[in-house]
Amino acid sequence: MTFLLPHRRWLITFATTLLLWSVVMQLNHYLAPHGAYLFVGGLLVTFAALRLSLRIGLTATLLIGLAIDAVEPVPLVSSHALPGTHLVLFGVMHVVLFHIRTRFPREETVIGVVVALLANLGFFLGLSFVFVEFGRHPVPGAAWLRLFADLGWSQLFIVIIAPWFFALQERALELGQVDLAEENRRTF
Amino acid sequence: MPSKRFDQAKPFITLGIVVLAWMLLPVVVKSFLRVGFAELQSPIQATVSHARDLQEYWAERTHSKNDLITAGRELGHVYAGYEFQAQQTEALHNEIARLEQLLRLPSNPHYRFEPARVALRDFSGWWQQLVIRKGANFGIPVGAPVVYSGGVVGRVREVHAYTADVDLVTSPRTRLAATIENDSRPVSYQGGDNPPLAPARGIVEFVPPDIFASAKDPKRLVTSGLGGLFPPGLTIGYVTRLEASTDGLFKSGEVSLDPRLSELTEVTVLVPLNPE
Repeated sequence: MTFLLPHRRWLITFATTLLLWSVVMQLNHYLAPHGAYLFVGGLLVTFAALRLSLRIGLTATLLIGLAIDAVEPVPLVSSHALPGTHLVLFGVMHVVLFHIRTRFPREETVIGVVVALLANLGFFLGLSFVFVEFGRHPVPGAAWLRLFADLGWSQLFIVIIAPWFFALQERALELGQVDLAEENRRTF
Repeated sequence: MPSKRFDQAKPFITLGIVVLAWMLLPVVVKSFLRVGFAELQSPIQATVSHARDLQEYWAERTHSKNDLITAGRELGHVYAGYEFQAQQTEALHNEIARLEQLLRLPSNPHYRFEPARVALRDFSGWWQQLVIRKGANFGIPVGAPVVYSGGVVGRVREVHAYTADVDLVTSPRTRLAATIENDSRPVSYQGGDNPPLAPARGIVEFVPPDIFASAKDPKRLVTSGLGGLFPPGLTIGYVTRLEASTDGLFKSGEVSLDPRLSELTEVTVLVPLNPE
């Protein structure tokens, strides 16, 4: 327990993102017969990038990237450079958002939703490029059609679920006695 | 000013160090992390799957006794038919063994049938995979074929302690050696055509030019048995369209797949009895 106290900030953030990821995986299980898929990578990264210090937020983001990489297939398995696709993409997005976060009111929910949507769009295009082009998809045209349809559903889902998820993360951190105002002031 | 620039660059420098460290990390550490995080999530998937089964059980308990008796009787008729077919199959297996011995032919691979519940379906435009609720604890090997009542489901890609990941036949990563029914010439099947809000399709290539198929006259595509992975004769799908490929030597076309593939709740893993 004494180990957990100094590390509760990234642990709580990681736990909440893992919870959301698990819930979305279950939703995708039920959507599978209907040919639809939800991806919420942008939402997983947004709160940590906008509201937490770099060290804590990036730790939580990289952990969720590793968790997703562990269960998803990667192309060119024999190439050791590619395992870690989500880890690298999530890390890059986190750092970019962290870099620009002082330029807008990052504590506003609406801003968080917009950032999550844009981040998700970036992830989607990045992952699609990796899996369709590097993965040598047999019908790239049909693949992009399906991917854009999934992107539409995913963005709509993020608009609906983001305010709840941000509130959940805030409340979880408050319950863990983390001072968010202090976290906001920290840089590294 | 240089201090301000360094502050602005610090996040990118941090990320660069992390990525470099990741790339230089030994493969064994990366594998350990991958396995560790996968096993962290496996209990969540398995628990939710068990909860789903429990929910279905309690839903079925609301049926009246008359409904259950009727369902039991219908199952009894089906079971009687399957029992007779099982006896015929055993007789055919014995005949095959006798002929193999007589003609000194090599035996076809034999399998142990391992039924498994589907814990999670993960069907995106990037990949199509199932997670089943059996893994190394039931001796499931990597690469084992997975089937269901309608034919081929896919192949085991990764095995964990209590679960296994199966690449579906609809996945763009899946490529199989196949034949058109009643024709012995090999063709190639690959998954990957997964339109939104519609059943998945596959692609068939290297089809001989004298074979014709259309939506009105589809041809059944079955496994060829080449490579020794899948037993021959298992249904993959139905070829509904064929057109000449660009080289003019062969045809390529579209394979219509069973819509039940996206609704599977139980599959069977064929575990080879004599792995090479």
